[in-house]
Amino acid sequence: MNKFKKFIYNDNTVGYVFALPFIFGFLCFSLVPMVTSLYYSFTDYSLGTKSASFVGLSNFARLFTDDIFIKSLGITLKYVLISVPLKLAFALFVAFLLTRKSKAVTLYRSLYYIPSLVGGSIAVALVWKQIFARKGLINSVLDGFGLSAINWFGDEKLALFPLILMSVWQFGSSMIIFAAGLKEIPTSYYEAAMIDGAGGWKKFLKITLPCLSPIILYNLIMQTISAFMAFTQAFVITQGGPNNGTMMYALYVYNQAFKYNNMGYACSMSWVMLVVMSIITLVIFKSSKFWVFSEADS
Amino acid sequence: MKKRIFALFLAALMILSLASCGKKEESEDIVLRMAWWGSQTRHDRTVQVIEMYEKEHPNVKIEYEFYSFDDYFTKLKTLVASDQVWDVFQLGGNFPEYMDKIYFLNEFIKSGVVDTKNISDAYLKITQDTDGNQIGLSNGLNTYGIAYDVDMFKAAGVPLPTDTWTWDDYADAARKIKAATGHFGSSGFTSSEFIAGCSTYIGQQGALGENGFFNLELTGMGFKDAQMLAPYIQMRADLIKEGASPDAGAEMEITNIENDFLVTGEAGMTWVAVNQFPTIYDICAKEGRTLALATLPRVSKDGNSGSVIQSSQMLCVSKDSEHKQAAAEFISWFQNSTECNDVLQGERGIPINDNVRKSLTANATPGQQVMYDYVSLVGTFKTPDKINVLSPSGQDQVVDLYRNYIQQVAKGEITAAEAADLTYKAAEAIFK
Repeated sequence: MNKFKKFIYNDNTVGYVFALPFIFGFLCFSLVPMVTSLYYSFTDYSLGTKSASFVGLSNFARLFTDDIFIKSLGITLKYVLISVPLKLAFALFVAFLLTRKSKAVTLYRSLYYIPSLVGGSIAVALVWKQIFARKGLINSVLDGFGLSAINWFGDEKLALFPLILMSVWQFGSSMIIFAAGLKEIPTSYYEAAMIDGAGGWKKFLKITLPCLSPIILYNLIMQTISAFMAFTQAFVITQGGPNNGTMMYALYVYNQAFKYNNMGYACSMSWVMLVVMSIITLVIFKSSKFWVFSEADS
Repeated sequence: MKKRIFALFLAALMILSLASCGKKEESEDIVLRMAWWGSQTRHDRTVQVIEMYEKEHPNVKIEYEFYSFDDYFTKLKTLVASDQVWDVFQLGGNFPEYMDKIYFLNEFIKSGVVDTKNISDAYLKITQDTDGNQIGLSNGLNTYGIAYDVDMFKAAGVPLPTDTWTWDDYADAARKIKAATGHFGSSGFTSSEFIAGCSTYIGQQGALGENGFFNLELTGMGFKDAQMLAPYIQMRADLIKEGASPDAGAEMEITNIENDFLVTGEAGMTWVAVNQFPTIYDICAKEGRTLALATLPRVSKDGNSGSVIQSSQMLCVSKDSEHKQAAAEFISWFQNSTECNDVLQGERGIPINDNVRKSLTANATPGQQVMYDYVSLVGTFKTPDKINVLSPSGQDQVVDLYRNYIQQVAKGEITAAEAADLTYKAAEAIFK
């Protein structure tokens, strides 16, 4: 019994027991599916017929002749490049506004956080679809000002922007993290800067941004990854149209896998996506030493 | 310590025995899983008859799920992959893709579990495969048509469609309605458009039965010259460009037949599978508008109609089912019970059981009467001896591509001739 007690109270055991739910989840719901999908990416597996024969690299070769794939890659990159900086800037701005000492701050923070909570949900996407519909809120307002209505989802060039705007609107989680980071910056820095005669803007550029840069890096990476995986908006609002103008990468993977019965092809697409995402994340990491300020270095 | 462990052990034992108790009870009760796609009306009515069935059969519990058309098949594909297809499930002309999962009704018909006394052989045949296996029982007869708003035609000064109107008449009507009312001439209920429009257009060309979109055996294309599609694609693209038909953005706002632009009063016509007609007729009648059904336009006045009466959809038993007989019993009741069909009201198509059909036609609502008359009219059209109304696996992708090509033609990115070639190639590719 004593041995058992010793074992159970051992720090390592306790650690593993607490980590067990994650380890279990990771093995069953991440690692196994990933390995399976890697295998399927070299086959012509399809859900409907359940047959899978080895086809080598032909799925990957086919990607480069698939116009919709290439288009979706471009659109997703565009979406990431526009939505992530906008979202981070907006989140930082709101977090900045909400660092003032006031009792209402907690309320406001919770309010702004709610959109993130319901973030990728179908309900929000449906609301968004209505707002930008031909006779939706935005067009009614435009109409009220005597402007002509805009056909948001009918024009290939415009259709992506409501989706980007929706992602920006879900800035809550980044904002909370920014707000926490802002609180960590010692007020003595600002006081010193004030004595030296620095203005508000200068304080922001010279103190806030550098002190916050590790957190910006974190948010940047998390948001970039989640932006690459954006799916709900495109699936619910536009279904990839018009003319595949909002065919996000994840949506095309879904279509190939579940709608067109090309699971093997979809798996190979997912792996290409993983590689693209890894490269971009790596670039962000590598670049971080030029702009992320850590107190240990200085 | 030892005591505690013993107590724990006892508790665990108790829970286990309790759980096994629960299981025993379940095995006496039968739980059937069932799913279908359709509109809200269908969901409401089907749920109602399921509750009726459960009341009559206290040992049967039916767990039901319902979806829109696209989502239904997405879900079905995942269930096929995990060998968990619903006990009773609905399939349409795309059943060949799911053949591996369908449990034929042959033995149940032989043993009398499925009652086919009042169903004529001709109606049984429409849901049999080429070897005579009974794949399912058809929920009803169906055909495609164009539903239109009578007043909108009159307001635009367009003559009402005749039985032999042509695609030129159709496009002309759409343009005039747009010009006179500012609304869409023709809406785009796209789930029906590919079959009712594009595919029918091919069948209307050449001699009777010479052409079809896919061949009879579903092993390849049913026509040789891709350019046969071009005029139709050109017409669709022109109507979109001129605003007489919804563009991709507007089309996205239509999620099912009940909010199609024809029903919301923003369009003069739309494509329908005629079993959908009574529902939308009733909705519009409440608002004081009258809908009517027109035949599918033809390529030429005296040419083929291209229309065919087919099974709208059927209920099948799945091979994954643990209660195949109970599932078959339910299907039999669903098809043959007049009480059940009085609730369903032929919403899935005109029932194939003679008694049920008689009882329904005797009390037909005005909207249903239009549908019955229309189906008899189409029944008088000349049809080829053999016709293929089935969809091959992979058709979804072809349809998505085809729609996209039309949008590209409307935008002027490609010509209709190129779109026809591309569509043909995409369709050919699914057989390779």
